[in-house]
Amino acid sequence: MRINILVVICNRPTIITSKEQMEQKDDIYYIEKVTAGQTNYFSYIVERYQDIVFSIALKVLKNREDAEEMAQESFIKAYKSLHTFKGTAKFSTWLYRITYNNCISEVRKRKIHYTSTDEVEVKDETTEINLDGIPEENRAKCIQEALRKLPEEEYTLVLLYYFEEQSIEEISKVTNLSESNTKVKLYRARKKLYTILNEMMKDELYTIL
Amino acid sequence: MNELEDIKLQAFLKKLELDSPKPDFTVRVMNKIFEESNALERIKSEKILGKGFWIFMILFVVLFAAIFILYNTGAQPDSQLPNLLPEVSQGIGEKYDSFFSKLAGAPLAIGGILAAFSVLLFLDRIIISNSKIFA
Repeated sequence: MRINILVVICNRPTIITSKEQMEQKDDIYYIEKVTAGQTNYFSYIVERYQDIVFSIALKVLKNREDAEEMAQESFIKAYKSLHTFKGTAKFSTWLYRITYNNCISEVRKRKIHYTSTDEVEVKDETTEINLDGIPEENRAKCIQEALRKLPEEEYTLVLLYYFEEQSIEEISKVTNLSESNTKVKLYRARKKLYTILNEMMKDELYTIL
Repeated sequence: MNELEDIKLQAFLKKLELDSPKPDFTVRVMNKIFEESNALERIKSEKILGKGFWIFMILFVVLFAAIFILYNTGAQPDSQLPNLLPEVSQGIGEKYDSFFSKLAGAPLAIGGILAAFSVLLFLDRIIISNSKIFA
């Protein structure tokens, strides 16, 4: 499906394209255009990464308005420092790192102390789960709910590893963790996710009974 | 951990729809970027040293040149002021001479410090007035 939306931004016509169409071109293509002075092309990058950048911000800041503001700031920061992007790492890794660091420093600045869902007890023995056991109609909802219950750091790790298919090395760059630490934390996050899903399945069973 | 379940989890997660910002998010981001780049262009096009500085500089140079010319052409003897107030003008003249002789005797290091201080003040002014560029 191809959807082109022509919008006028600051009296400059900008084409906002559907995601499927954008993926045809590499990030580097748009970055080169932007650094060459064609600022309009940055809208493609914003369109491509806004959901994941917003999701990370929302998870850390726990508020939609703050998350939108932070996501906006992250894109502006990325635009301003685009000339420093050397292309040695993936652009997405670089952008997520800006977003994650922005959000973390905002949390520190505001001294927000959340009642973290860290209290989810990870049991070594009962982490195996048969995902097919979750009714198909509820599966997406259950996994989404379980993801929401993960603490922000673990949520980011799971999101980047599974959803964005980033490597351990790339994730460690985003989160400023060592590679071994990232591996351990990702393992724990996965276990925690399975534990939450297990609990949810038990609750659902009790409701039925 | 069961590798198959892990692959399944990945497949399920890939299907999930992430939270999205408001539909006009891209437009807002781009507007902000254009606003900022316009402001940056305006700052860049602004002259670092304003009109006031150049007027002051020209006046200073003209004054300095006038004093120099008058001093060298011996204009002072034609002035009527020393004849009218001989004691006052003599006193001022002596103090003037002694001030410059003292200044000439001051160590070179003090001159250097003053010059460096002036340069730093000047740089500070440039950085403050162009804080957006340096940020």
